[in-house]
Amino acid sequence: MKKTHLLAAAMTAATALTSPAFTQSVLRLDEVAVGELDPAKASDYADSILMFNVYDTLVLPTQGGPGSEPHLAESWEVDGATYTFNLRDDVSFQSGNPMRAADVVFSLERMQALGQGLSHLFGGVKAEAVDEHTVRFTLDEPYAPFIASLVRLPIVDQTLVEANATEDDPWGEEFLSANAAGTGAYTVSSHNPQDETVMAVSDSYFLPIDDHAPDEVRLRYSLEAATVRTLLAQGEHDIASQWLPPEVIRALAEDGAQLLTESGTGAFYIKLNTARPPLDDVNCRQALAHAFDYGTALQMVAITDDVSSGSASTGAIPVGMFGANPADEVLERDMDAAREYLADCPYAPEDWNLEISWIAEVPLEERFALLMQANFAELGISSSIETLPWALFTERVASPENTPNISQIFVNAVTGDPDTLLYGMYHSSTPGTWQSPEYLDDAEVDAALEAGRRGPGEEEREEAYSNLNDRLMELAPTIYGYDRQSVFAASNRVKVPALSDPEMAFGLDGMGFSFRLMEMVEE
Amino acid sequence: MIRALRIISSNPLSLTGLVLVLLILAAALFAPLIAPFPTHNGSVVDFAFANRPPSTRNWMGTDLVGRDIFSRILYAYRISLGLGVVVLIIAAPVGTVVGLMAGYLGGWIEAVLMRLVDVFLSIPPLVLAIAVLGVLEPTLANAMIAVTVMWWPWYARLVYSIARSEREEGYVLAAEVIGASTAHITIREILPNCLPAIITKMTLDMGFVIIIASSLSFLGLGVQPPTPDLGSMVAEGARYLPDSWWMTVFPGLAILLAVFGFNLFGDGLREILGVDE
Repeated sequence: MKKTHLLAAAMTAATALTSPAFTQSVLRLDEVAVGELDPAKASDYADSILMFNVYDTLVLPTQGGPGSEPHLAESWEVDGATYTFNLRDDVSFQSGNPMRAADVVFSLERMQALGQGLSHLFGGVKAEAVDEHTVRFTLDEPYAPFIASLVRLPIVDQTLVEANATEDDPWGEEFLSANAAGTGAYTVSSHNPQDETVMAVSDSYFLPIDDHAPDEVRLRYSLEAATVRTLLAQGEHDIASQWLPPEVIRALAEDGAQLLTESGTGAFYIKLNTARPPLDDVNCRQALAHAFDYGTALQMVAITDDVSSGSASTGAIPVGMFGANPADEVLERDMDAAREYLADCPYAPEDWNLEISWIAEVPLEERFALLMQANFAELGISSSIETLPWALFTERVASPENTPNISQIFVNAVTGDPDTLLYGMYHSSTPGTWQSPEYLDDAEVDAALEAGRRGPGEEEREEAYSNLNDRLMELAPTIYGYDRQSVFAASNRVKVPALSDPEMAFGLDGMGFSFRLMEMVEE
Repeated sequence: MIRALRIISSNPLSLTGLVLVLLILAAALFAPLIAPFPTHNGSVVDFAFANRPPSTRNWMGTDLVGRDIFSRILYAYRISLGLGVVVLIIAAPVGTVVGLMAGYLGGWIEAVLMRLVDVFLSIPPLVLAIAVLGVLEPTLANAMIAVTVMWWPWYARLVYSIARSEREEGYVLAAEVIGASTAHITIREILPNCLPAIITKMTLDMGFVIIIASSLSFLGLGVQPPTPDLGSMVAEGARYLPDSWWMTVFPGLAILLAVFGFNLFGDGLREILGVDE
């Protein structure tokens, strides 16, 4: 009798272990290293994915439309250049500390003090805690897209960070580069910025999280395209990064993978270093811009008959944003014009030896490099191709002498607003980041950018960005390759409404990767 | 000569080696005549034909920018063989001189030279080449320098061991007795006895130099695009496995055939020249 009991107990235990309540659902995805965990330094795609899941912001972009929704904030009032936010009082950090107005102030000040990542969005902003749950922002000058920009102000846990700060490291940079101090829906279990970040769903999130959201997320860095291809085919990977070459995405789609898309708040930009000969001369740049084969570039990024990573470019600003040119005024190759511009270029084409760089983690760019080399060779311009890993590239662009003549970058509006696409690239005060290897310094461009962010109305902004677009076409600091949408091949184990249903889309790069809104399904 | 042919033809493996080597040499020499798309050697893109599997138009398919892989392999052989020849033509004499001096003169010259050789041999070849290319710009010429730097010590050691044993032979002593100069003894008396071993080693090494050079360009340190190179073709194609297998498989096979051919031929040569293992 006793024996039977034991057996029964053992069987119950075994069933319990395999029952759904105990299965951990794991989501596996990849991005390009480095995964920067410090939210004040987050700028590229991997960083954004980490930030949006580990940290929260006062507002979120409205799904399926323009505008912002309250998130950590309950409501806000705008009075000229003063914004007053009432915070939720039921939010606590993963550490257990309650989220207070002082944390918001600290987060802003920390970002401004470090001056990295997207801190340029918050240059002239001051914050003060009015009371425990009210915070007031005062802007030096009007900044029309301020509310939208708050999606890039992650709130960190002041108490925890200060407890881990030292005299040499007053802002706790070392601590936050390896640990999480947010309110987010996911906690960090382990983090190696070159290899993998493992996250687990938080049990104390202030919003309900669907049961089907992944329990654990493994974000791996810099996997080879062939590796991702194989892992996905074997069912050992869930969402591939957008940097897979189109052929590989196509092959995966033919094997039954779903294609997730994140639509157009950005473009493929071929950036010309204007601080160094020969591209410091506008005619030389125009010659390149007219010799580039836009049509072929578009063919190269088509994935299936319905899905492509690109649509035709009409100028410096992607179609759909303030100041964009009409969708039918597409840029086209014009060799005659290119030759005319080249005739006015003071440098002899055979002496150029242009350095065309491409980012090692984005194999597609190698093809653009070869395309450019062939296009420019038709003008008699000699060039060499250089492969740069992303981490090396971001270091090299810090000085104009080390910045290659030509860099290829995919840039998106980090808040969905054109200001965050264009200001960081073209304003003379922000040279030498990965977004601005042009080193452009032009008073008219600066004025238009400032007018665009000043607003305040849509009409003024439309006009300012339209002027900016014209001026940027005249100066040609960049070859505006194509307007872009990101395409991700994914397994059918995961449902991502924010990346498949336009009604649920955020209109903000990386936000679709909010793991709490994903659903894991058994195949 | 007739004896050589007889030895080679009696051994099917050596014969295979000889045929492969001749084919590869012919492919490299006559690349512009054989290649169906001779311009694909340079800066050409043809996206209408990009990423095509092997067909009657492109026997080995096309790469991602539409270049004919067969044509590029023929041109890549030129680069690989040229690099191999240059490297060996520099490395072998340098190593031979060092080995002869150390082996014949002995004493502190031997100690210094051979310890230097040991230092070079103690560093893994690929690591040494990567270090050299890290300091210099990655170009074809610098890749040659890098490979040469790591290659000469092997010849020094080979010639040294022969010279050392020949030093005590009667004919060397006889030459010394009649007052022949050091230069005469090393070059006219000892060197001819080393030549069979050197030539055999050069043939065998040809394959290894090709592999090392391909490894360097696989790592992005060798020949720069758009110049075709077997190693970089494998590296580029590897990203598109398994779907676009032809981009990797054919350049990989080309490396295999070259190395295999030179090795088999080298073995045959060793037999003909009567060199001991």
